Amino acid sequence: MKLILSDRDERIIVHSPAPVEQVLLEAGINPLEVVVSRNGNLISEDTIVESEDVIRVIRIAHGG
Amino acid sequence: MCSRCTEPAVVYQRNVDRHLCGVHFTADIERRVADRVKTRRMIVPGDRVAVALSGGKDSTALLLLLSQLFPVGQDVQLVAITIDEGIAGYREATVHAAEHHASRLGIEHHCISFPDLFGNSLDVFLEGRETQACSICGILRRKALAVAARGTGATKLATGHNLDDEAQSVLMNVFRGDLPRLIRNSGVDSSGKFIPRIKPLSLISEKEIATYLILKNAWNILPECPYTRFALRREVRSMLSGFEYKHPGTMLHLMESKEKIEHSCACSEVSAPLRTCRTCGDPSSGDLCQVCLLLQSLGR
Repeated sequence: MKLILSDRDERIIVHSPAPVEQVLLEAGINPLEVVVSRNGNLISEDTIVESEDVIRVIRIAHGG
Repeated sequence: MCSRCTEPAVVYQRNVDRHLCGVHFTADIERRVADRVKTRRMIVPGDRVAVALSGGKDSTALLLLLSQLFPVGQDVQLVAITIDEGIAGYREATVHAAEHHASRLGIEHHCISFPDLFGNSLDVFLEGRETQACSICGILRRKALAVAARGTGATKLATGHNLDDEAQSVLMNVFRGDLPRLIRNSGVDSSGKFIPRIKPLSLISEKEIATYLILKNAWNILPECPYTRFALRREVRSMLSGFEYKHPGTMLHLMESKEKIEHSCACSEVSAPLRTCRTCGDPSSGDLCQVCLLLQSLGR
Protein backbone atom coordinates (compact mmCIF):
# COMPACT_ATOMS: atom_id res chain seq x y z
CA MET A 1 0.00 0.00 0.00
CA LYS A 2 1.05 3.59 -0.41
CA LEU A 3 1.42 5.49 2.86
CA ILE A 4 1.44 9.28 2.35
CA LEU A 5 2.72 11.23 5.35
CA SER A 6 1.69 14.84 5.69
CA ASP A 7 5.19 16.15 5.10
CA ARG A 8 4.94 14.84 1.53
CA ASP A 9 6.98 11.83 2.50
CA GLU A 10 5.54 8.83 0.63
CA ARG A 11 6.32 5.22 1.47
CA ILE A 12 5.33 2.10 -0.38
CA ILE A 13 4.92 -0.68 2.14
CA VAL A 14 4.17 -4.31 1.57
CA HIS A 15 1.57 -5.43 4.03
CA SER A 16 -1.08 -8.08 4.24
CA PRO A 17 -4.53 -6.74 5.14
CA ALA A 18 -4.31 -5.20 8.62
CA PRO A 19 -6.00 -2.58 10.83
CA VAL A 20 -4.72 0.90 10.00
CA GLU A 21 -3.77 1.23 13.69
CA GLN A 22 -1.23 -1.60 13.25
CA VAL A 23 0.20 -0.02 10.07
CA LEU A 24 0.66 3.28 11.94
CA LEU A 25 2.31 1.67 14.95
CA GLU A 26 4.73 -0.20 12.69
CA ALA A 27 5.60 3.14 11.06
CA GLY A 28 6.32 4.59 14.54
CA ILE A 29 3.21 6.80 14.62
CA ASN A 30 0.88 7.12 17.63
CA PRO A 31 -2.65 6.72 16.14
CA LEU A 32 -3.93 9.43 18.51
CA GLU A 33 -1.66 12.04 16.91
CA VAL A 34 -2.97 11.62 13.37
CA VAL A 35 -6.13 11.39 11.32
CA VAL A 36 -6.13 8.90 8.46
CA SER A 37 -7.94 8.82 5.16
CA ARG A 38 -8.15 5.99 2.61
CA ASN A 39 -8.67 6.87 -1.00
CA GLY A 40 -9.88 10.31 0.14
CA ASN A 41 -12.30 9.22 2.88
CA LEU A 42 -11.65 9.41 6.63
CA ILE A 43 -11.41 6.01 8.30
CA SER A 44 -11.39 4.80 11.90
CA GLU A 45 -8.29 3.23 13.46
CA ASP A 46 -9.65 -0.29 13.33
CA THR A 47 -10.49 -0.21 9.61
CA ILE A 48 -8.73 -3.01 7.72
CA VAL A 49 -6.55 -1.62 4.92
CA GLU A 50 -5.56 -3.62 1.86
CA SER A 51 -2.41 -3.73 -0.23
CA GLU A 52 -3.87 -1.60 -3.07
CA ASP A 53 -5.04 1.20 -0.73
CA VAL A 54 -3.63 4.72 -0.65
CA ILE A 55 -3.44 5.83 2.99
CA ARG A 56 -2.94 9.52 3.82
CA VAL A 57 -1.71 10.35 7.32
CA ILE A 58 -2.56 13.84 8.57
CA ARG A 59 -0.61 15.00 11.63
CA ILE A 60 -2.81 17.03 13.95
CA ALA A 61 -0.48 18.54 16.54
CA HIS A 62 0.07 22.21 15.86
CA GLY A 63 1.64 24.77 18.13
CA GLY A 64 0.03 28.15 18.36
CA MET B 1 -19.76 0.63 10.47
CA CYS B 2 -21.41 3.47 12.45
CA SER B 3 -23.00 2.35 15.74
CA ARG B 4 -26.09 4.47 14.90
CA CYS B 5 -26.62 3.85 11.17
CA THR B 6 -25.28 1.80 8.27
CA GLU B 7 -22.74 4.35 6.99
CA PRO B 8 -18.98 3.66 7.23
CA ALA B 9 -17.38 4.86 10.48
CA VAL B 10 -14.91 7.74 10.34
CA VAL B 11 -13.95 7.52 14.03
CA TYR B 12 -13.74 4.98 16.79
CA GLN B 13 -14.30 6.54 20.23
CA ARG B 14 -12.21 4.26 22.38
CA ASN B 15 -13.35 5.39 25.81
CA VAL B 16 -17.02 4.63 25.02
CA ASP B 17 -16.33 1.80 22.53
CA ARG B 18 -18.36 3.45 19.76
CA HIS B 19 -17.98 3.91 15.99
CA LEU B 20 -19.51 6.96 14.33
CA CYS B 21 -19.98 8.06 10.71
CA GLY B 22 -19.33 11.66 9.64
CA VAL B 23 -22.89 12.85 10.24
CA HIS B 24 -23.25 11.26 13.67
CA PHE B 25 -19.75 12.28 14.73
CA THR B 26 -20.27 15.99 13.92
CA ALA B 27 -23.64 15.87 15.69
CA ASP B 28 -21.96 14.25 18.72
CA ILE B 29 -19.29 17.00 18.91
CA GLU B 30 -21.88 19.76 18.54
CA ARG B 31 -24.06 18.23 21.28
CA ARG B 32 -21.15 17.77 23.70
CA VAL B 33 -19.97 21.36 23.25
CA ALA B 34 -23.52 22.71 23.63
CA ASP B 35 -23.98 20.62 26.82
CA ARG B 36 -20.69 21.87 28.26
CA VAL B 37 -21.57 25.51 27.56
CA LYS B 38 -25.03 25.07 29.04
CA THR B 39 -24.28 22.99 32.15
CA ARG B 40 -21.34 25.21 33.13
CA ARG B 41 -23.35 28.35 32.30
CA MET B 42 -20.38 29.53 30.25
CA ILE B 43 -22.50 31.82 28.08
CA VAL B 44 -25.78 33.44 29.12
CA PRO B 45 -28.24 35.69 27.26
CA GLY B 46 -26.86 39.20 26.84
CA ASP B 47 -23.22 38.05 26.73
CA ARG B 48 -20.82 39.47 24.18
CA VAL B 49 -18.23 36.74 23.71
CA ALA B 50 -14.74 37.51 22.42
CA VAL B 51 -13.45 34.37 20.71
CA ALA B 52 -9.66 34.14 20.70
CA LEU B 53 -9.04 33.21 17.07
CA SER B 54 -5.44 32.38 16.20
CA GLY B 55 -6.49 30.84 12.90
CA GLY B 56 -5.22 27.41 14.00
CA LYS B 57 -7.44 24.36 14.26
CA ASP B 58 -8.73 24.69 17.83
CA SER B 59 -9.82 28.30 17.65
CA THR B 60 -11.30 27.77 14.18
CA ALA B 61 -13.37 24.86 15.49
CA LEU B 62 -14.41 26.95 18.49
CA LEU B 63 -15.61 29.82 16.30
CA LEU B 64 -17.46 27.43 14.01
CA LEU B 65 -19.18 25.64 16.91
CA LEU B 66 -20.12 28.82 18.79
CA SER B 67 -21.41 30.47 15.61
CA GLN B 68 -23.75 27.51 15.13
CA LEU B 69 -24.82 27.60 18.76
CA PHE B 70 -25.38 31.38 18.73
CA PRO B 71 -26.31 32.50 15.20
CA VAL B 72 -25.97 36.18 14.27
CA GLY B 73 -28.96 38.24 15.42
CA GLN B 74 -29.63 36.31 18.65
CA ASP B 75 -29.19 37.57 22.20
CA VAL B 76 -25.55 36.44 22.37
CA GLN B 77 -22.98 38.30 20.25
CA LEU B 78 -19.70 36.84 19.04
CA VAL B 79 -16.63 38.84 18.12
CA ALA B 80 -13.33 37.28 17.01
CA ILE B 81 -10.00 38.63 18.25
CA THR B 82 -6.60 37.70 16.87
CA ILE B 83 -3.21 38.40 18.43
CA ASP B 84 -0.34 38.87 16.00
CA GLU B 85 2.74 38.27 18.13
CA GLY B 86 5.12 38.95 15.26
CA ILE B 87 6.55 35.50 14.51
CA ALA B 88 8.07 35.63 11.05
CA GLY B 89 7.20 32.80 8.69
CA TYR B 90 4.40 31.55 10.92
CA ARG B 91 1.87 34.06 12.12
CA GLU B 92 1.19 35.70 8.73
CA ALA B 93 -0.49 32.54 7.45
CA THR B 94 -2.59 31.96 10.58
CA VAL B 95 -3.71 35.61 10.75
CA HIS B 96 -4.81 35.30 7.14
CA ALA B 97 -6.69 32.08 7.98
CA ALA B 98 -8.36 33.82 10.95
CA GLU B 99 -9.54 36.70 8.73
CA HIS B 100 -10.88 34.20 6.23
CA HIS B 101 -12.85 32.15 8.81
CA ALA B 102 -14.33 35.20 10.57
CA SER B 103 -15.37 36.76 7.27
CA ARG B 104 -16.90 33.49 5.99
CA LEU B 105 -19.01 33.24 9.16
CA GLY B 106 -19.94 36.95 9.10
CA ILE B 107 -18.35 37.58 12.51
CA GLU B 108 -16.80 40.90 13.52
CA HIS B 109 -13.02 40.51 13.70
CA HIS B 110 -10.26 42.53 15.39
CA CYS B 111 -6.51 41.98 15.22
CA ILE B 112 -4.02 43.44 17.69
CA SER B 113 -0.23 43.08 17.50
CA PHE B 114 2.60 42.86 20.03
CA PRO B 115 4.34 45.90 18.48
CA ASP B 116 1.11 47.90 18.96
CA LEU B 117 0.84 46.86 22.60
CA PHE B 118 4.37 46.21 23.80
CA GLY B 119 6.54 48.08 21.29
CA ASN B 120 8.24 45.07 19.70
CA SER B 121 7.50 41.78 18.01
CA LEU B 122 7.97 38.47 19.85
CA ASP B 123 10.85 37.65 17.51
CA VAL B 124 12.71 40.75 18.75
CA PHE B 125 11.90 40.08 22.41
CA LEU B 126 13.21 36.53 22.06
CA GLU B 127 16.61 37.31 20.57
CA GLY B 128 18.99 35.28 22.76
CA ARG B 129 16.10 34.00 24.89
CA GLU B 130 14.56 31.46 22.52
CA THR B 131 14.42 28.72 25.15
CA GLN B 132 11.99 30.87 27.19
CA ALA B 133 9.75 31.48 24.18
CA CYS B 134 6.57 29.84 25.43
CA SER B 135 6.59 31.39 28.89
CA ILE B 136 7.36 34.89 27.54
CA CYS B 137 4.79 34.56 24.75
CA GLY B 138 2.21 33.09 27.15
CA ILE B 139 2.43 36.04 29.58
CA LEU B 140 2.28 38.68 26.83
CA ARG B 141 -0.43 36.90 24.84
CA ARG B 142 -2.62 36.55 27.92
CA LYS B 143 -2.40 40.30 28.48
CA ALA B 144 -2.97 41.02 24.78
CA LEU B 145 -6.11 38.88 24.78
CA ALA B 146 -7.45 40.67 27.86
CA VAL B 147 -6.78 44.10 26.31
CA ALA B 148 -8.34 43.08 22.99
CA ALA B 149 -11.38 41.55 24.70
CA ARG B 150 -11.89 44.66 26.85
CA GLY B 151 -11.56 46.82 23.74
CA THR B 152 -14.46 45.04 22.09
CA GLY B 153 -16.71 45.36 25.14
CA ALA B 154 -16.73 41.59 25.72
CA THR B 155 -18.26 40.03 28.82
CA LYS B 156 -16.57 36.63 28.25
CA LEU B 157 -13.36 35.52 26.60
CA ALA B 158 -13.56 32.10 24.91
CA THR B 159 -10.42 30.14 24.07
CA GLY B 160 -10.00 26.95 22.06
CA HIS B 161 -8.13 24.89 24.66
CA ASN B 162 -8.93 21.24 24.05
CA LEU B 163 -8.77 18.16 26.29
CA ASP B 164 -5.16 17.43 25.34
CA ASP B 165 -4.09 21.04 26.16
CA GLU B 166 -5.89 21.00 29.49
CA ALA B 167 -4.56 17.60 30.55
CA GLN B 168 -1.03 18.69 29.56
CA SER B 169 -1.41 21.83 31.68
CA VAL B 170 -2.49 19.78 34.71
CA LEU B 171 0.58 17.59 34.39
CA MET B 172 2.94 20.54 33.75
CA ASN B 173 1.64 22.36 36.84
CA VAL B 174 2.14 19.20 38.90
CA PHE B 175 5.68 18.81 37.53
CA ARG B 176 6.41 22.41 38.53
CA GLY B 177 4.73 22.02 41.92
CA ASP B 178 2.59 25.05 41.06
CA LEU B 179 -0.57 24.48 43.12
CA PRO B 180 -2.01 28.03 42.70
CA ARG B 181 -1.90 27.69 38.92
CA LEU B 182 -3.19 24.11 39.04
CA ILE B 183 -6.38 25.17 40.80
CA ARG B 184 -6.80 28.59 39.19
CA ASN B 185 -10.31 28.91 37.80
CA SER B 186 -10.29 31.81 35.35
CA GLY B 187 -13.88 31.06 34.35
CA VAL B 188 -15.20 32.85 37.41
CA ASP B 189 -14.42 36.39 38.50
CA SER B 190 -15.64 37.44 41.90
CA SER B 191 -13.33 40.49 41.95
CA GLY B 192 -14.86 42.21 38.91
CA LYS B 193 -11.32 42.84 37.59
CA PHE B 194 -11.13 40.17 34.89
CA ILE B 195 -13.20 39.13 31.92
CA PRO B 196 -14.09 35.49 32.72
CA ARG B 197 -12.38 33.04 30.37
CA ILE B 198 -14.30 30.05 29.11
CA LYS B 199 -13.07 26.88 27.41
CA PRO B 200 -16.00 25.18 25.66
CA LEU B 201 -13.75 22.56 23.98
CA SER B 202 -12.01 21.42 27.14
CA LEU B 203 -13.50 17.90 26.98
CA ILE B 204 -12.99 17.43 23.22
CA SER B 205 -9.74 15.76 22.18
CA GLU B 206 -7.32 17.26 19.69
CA LYS B 207 -7.95 14.35 17.32
CA GLU B 208 -11.71 14.89 17.49
CA ILE B 209 -11.26 18.59 16.70
CA ALA B 210 -9.10 17.82 13.66
CA THR B 211 -11.61 15.22 12.47
CA TYR B 212 -14.49 17.67 12.94
CA LEU B 213 -12.73 20.37 10.89
CA ILE B 214 -11.89 17.97 8.08
CA LEU B 215 -15.52 16.85 7.93
CA LYS B 216 -16.64 20.50 7.90
CA ASN B 217 -14.17 21.38 5.08
CA ALA B 218 -12.47 23.87 7.39
CA TRP B 219 -9.11 22.12 7.82
CA ASN B 220 -6.07 24.14 6.77
CA ILE B 221 -2.51 22.94 6.67
CA LEU B 222 -0.63 25.73 8.43
CA PRO B 223 3.01 26.15 9.45
CA GLU B 224 4.01 25.15 12.96
CA CYS B 225 5.24 27.79 15.41
CA PRO B 226 9.07 27.81 15.13
CA TYR B 227 9.41 28.12 18.90
CA THR B 228 7.52 24.94 19.83
CA ARG B 229 10.75 22.96 19.66
CA PHE B 230 11.85 24.70 22.86
CA ALA B 231 8.64 23.93 24.73
CA LEU B 232 8.27 21.66 27.74
CA ARG B 233 4.69 21.19 26.53
CA ARG B 234 5.96 19.37 23.45
CA GLU B 235 7.59 16.69 25.60
CA VAL B 236 4.56 16.43 27.86
CA ARG B 237 2.23 16.21 24.83
CA SER B 238 4.14 13.28 23.40
CA MET B 239 4.35 11.46 26.74
CA LEU B 240 0.69 12.00 27.60
CA SER B 241 -0.48 11.01 24.17
CA GLY B 242 1.44 7.73 24.57
CA PHE B 243 -0.24 7.15 27.94
CA GLU B 244 -3.67 7.94 26.53
CA TYR B 245 -3.12 5.43 23.74
CA LYS B 246 -2.11 2.66 26.14
CA HIS B 247 -4.60 3.64 28.86
CA PRO B 248 -7.68 5.28 27.31
CA GLY B 249 -9.27 7.85 29.62
CA THR B 250 -5.98 9.08 31.14
CA MET B 251 -6.58 12.68 30.02
CA LEU B 252 -10.13 12.76 31.35
CA HIS B 253 -8.92 11.29 34.64
CA LEU B 254 -6.34 14.07 34.93
CA MET B 255 -9.10 16.64 34.42
CA GLU B 256 -11.23 14.94 37.07
CA SER B 257 -8.28 14.95 39.48
CA LYS B 258 -7.78 18.67 38.89
CA GLU B 259 -11.43 19.37 39.62
CA LYS B 260 -11.29 17.33 42.84
CA ILE B 261 -8.17 19.19 44.00
CA GLU B 262 -9.80 22.50 43.02
CA HIS B 263 -12.85 21.56 45.09
CA SER B 264 -10.76 20.49 48.10
CA CYS B 265 -8.82 23.77 48.00
CA ALA B 266 -11.90 25.97 47.52
CA CYS B 267 -11.75 27.43 51.04
CA SER B 268 -7.97 27.46 51.39
CA GLU B 269 -5.62 30.40 50.83
CA VAL B 270 -3.20 28.97 48.27
CA SER B 271 -2.69 32.18 46.26
CA ALA B 272 -1.59 35.58 47.49
CA PRO B 273 -4.48 38.07 47.77
CA LEU B 274 -5.00 40.28 44.72
CA ARG B 275 -3.24 43.63 44.63
CA THR B 276 -2.86 46.30 41.96
CA CYS B 277 0.24 46.59 39.77
CA ARG B 278 1.90 49.91 40.53
CA THR B 279 2.93 50.40 36.89
CA CYS B 280 -0.12 49.45 34.81
CA GLY B 281 -2.88 49.20 37.42
CA ASP B 282 -3.87 45.65 36.45
CA PRO B 283 -4.66 43.06 39.13
CA SER B 284 -1.50 41.46 40.42
CA SER B 285 -0.30 39.11 43.15
CA GLY B 286 2.74 41.31 43.79
CA ASP B 287 3.88 44.93 43.58
CA LEU B 288 4.28 44.52 39.81
CA CYS B 289 2.22 42.26 37.57
CA GLN B 290 3.87 39.48 35.55
CA VAL B 291 3.69 41.52 32.34
CA CYS B 292 5.36 44.61 33.78
CA LEU B 293 8.03 42.47 35.46
CA LEU B 294 8.68 40.72 32.17
CA LEU B 295 8.77 43.91 30.10
CA GLN B 296 11.21 45.38 32.62
CA SER B 297 13.48 42.35 32.26
CA LEU B 298 13.23 42.61 28.46
CA GLY B 299 14.44 46.20 28.66
CA ARG B 300 11.14 47.91 27.86
